[in-house]
Amino acid sequence: MMKGIKLGVPIFLIVFSGLFLISSLQLPKANMGNPNAPLYFPAGLSILMLLLSFVYLFQELKHVAEENKELRQLFSGRTPKLLVTTLGSGVIYALVFDQIGFLLSTILFLGGLLFFINGWKKWLINCIVAVSFSFLTWYAFSQLLGVSLP
Amino acid sequence: MDVNSFMEGLSIAVQPVNIVWIIIGGFLGTIVGMLPGLGPATAVAVLIPMTFGMNPVSAIILMAAIYYGAMYGGSRSSILLNTPGDGSAIAATFDGYPMARKGMAGQALAISAVASFIGGLIAVVGFVFLAEPLATFALEFGPAEYFLLMLLTLSAIVSLSIGKMVKGFLAMTIGLALSTVGIDTQTGVYRFTLGSSHLSEGIDFLIVIIGVYAIGEVLYNLLSIDEQRNEKKKVGKVWFSKEQWRRSKWPILRSGPLGFIIGVLPGAGGSIASMISYTTERQLSKKSSEFGDGAVEGLAAPESANNSASVGAMIPLLTMGIPGSGTTAVMLGALIMLGLRPGPLLFDQQPETAWALINSMFIGNIALVIINILLVGVLVKVLDTPPKVLYPMIVVLAFIGTYTLSYTTFDFFFLLLFGVIGLFMKVLDFPIAPLVLALIVGSDMEQNFRMALSSSNGSFGIFFSSGVSIGLIALTLLSLLYPLIVHWMKRKVQNRPEDQMYRSS
Repeated sequence: MMKGIKLGVPIFLIVFSGLFLISSLQLPKANMGNPNAPLYFPAGLSILMLLLSFVYLFQELKHVAEENKELRQLFSGRTPKLLVTTLGSGVIYALVFDQIGFLLSTILFLGGLLFFINGWKKWLINCIVAVSFSFLTWYAFSQLLGVSLP
Repeated sequence: MDVNSFMEGLSIAVQPVNIVWIIIGGFLGTIVGMLPGLGPATAVAVLIPMTFGMNPVSAIILMAAIYYGAMYGGSRSSILLNTPGDGSAIAATFDGYPMARKGMAGQALAISAVASFIGGLIAVVGFVFLAEPLATFALEFGPAEYFLLMLLTLSAIVSLSIGKMVKGFLAMTIGLALSTVGIDTQTGVYRFTLGSSHLSEGIDFLIVIIGVYAIGEVLYNLLSIDEQRNEKKKVGKVWFSKEQWRRSKWPILRSGPLGFIIGVLPGAGGSIASMISYTTERQLSKKSSEFGDGAVEGLAAPESANNSASVGAMIPLLTMGIPGSGTTAVMLGALIMLGLRPGPLLFDQQPETAWALINSMFIGNIALVIINILLVGVLVKVLDTPPKVLYPMIVVLAFIGTYTLSYTTFDFFFLLLFGVIGLFMKVLDFPIAPLVLALIVGSDMEQNFRMALSSSNGSFGIFFSSGVSIGLIALTLLSLLYPLIVHWMKRKVQNRPEDQMYRSS
């Protein structure tokens, strides 16, 4: 897995810069001035990125066997679950934010994260923090700072 | 210096409402800046939304106070937890943390606050005299010079990440690539919008900033969340002895101007300033063997340099619109958001805003030293908040901040995407500042590049046509050679604490 990521990232960057180069060259022509003006900068940039990605790939090939503690942590213990849950609940939050309103969605989102990260045993503190922090931010932003929240 | 504008700025800055904002901003900035695992850039990023909806002058004053507060806060966690918030606070761990371990945390916090205060004041005086001449000088810059100046800033910031230059330049190209998304302002051509109307205005860099810094750092901290323990910290007496002051005063006074000058240079900033001042003081000291083991001047000197550099870094930011570090890049983003375009014309067109900001630095520094000494108890209590409760709250703040930028939940997905990118960048040891900086200056850089070329009918000779541009090219080349110079110096001097700093900055 570690090797996969170590080499996967530079390969992804190579593909990405390749695609970026192709789509730069296919940019529509400008109607005024030099018709190619909009594409020079991104095209030059993507070539630079491509070169750098290859250098990065060769560098990684040399060090592929080296241990990266943080990369290992990424896949060990409950970390993958934590990351997926945090991101997943972020997505759900984004989907329900407008529907059920700021206050309710934030209490649920923050509460969910707290229960998951901080544990069920500390339910009292989780509930207090989720409700009071959500209310406090709602008050600060919508009442004091005049931000209109759903 | 225009005395009238200066006085007008002062009168704005001392309005009670603005003083209240300075105190609130300084306090909040200190708190978020000192939270373990979160640096000043994150602090500024998540607190920016507070300023929306305020009148622009108060908003800028509040933002500057958050910035300085965050810089102060960054070194609080260096001293108390041995975890610096960003590169510029690393030097504070060398002697600050050993002092705290010896039960002198209170004294360390006090001397560092006073040193930062004096360094900051020295720098503000320098600022008052240097800002306007520099702005006048920058007025003569054409598109070619601006392009080269931005190139220098980017290459300088990448070169500082010794040992990961390829990754630094990759991060930079990704940032520049992101900046090309949206309608091309010169020709109206839609670029890389993937057919989405939302992308036609480009990717909002504040969302990227909040994503990679705030969400990215929280996700990164989740990797080791179960290993993070809260150690109880004994603060002790919060003031320093006469002897400690005697040892520190000259290092503080020497490091202030040094830090200021380094801070003004593009790309250099607080990390280099605090490191150079630390090394210098160790060489000058008669008790150099105590350095690294809780020598008070080893804490005071870099703190003074670091804070004066953070004021110095505001000069290129305000007079040329060029940020020198991740945190100042975030500041630039925020200023643009408030409709204020930093650059040479700022002092011409909005002198009272510029001078109000400069004067607020004076007041901000005074407020911060008081906050940091009187409220040590409260600040230490904040550090006792378990990270498992803290990080979810930061996530919520990041989401709210994003919402206030565009009032659409569409951007939440971008926020999460850039959070994941930030996480992987940290895990794979990519420097983040070049990405953020490149994204912010990218579109200006391209426009200046194209304007320069069209004014010369496509000839690249325009980039070598003035003394300033040749000087900028020379400096860019020098910055690219900088890692080689450091490598050479490192082989001469080995196994010293600042080597660690090179690696981690």
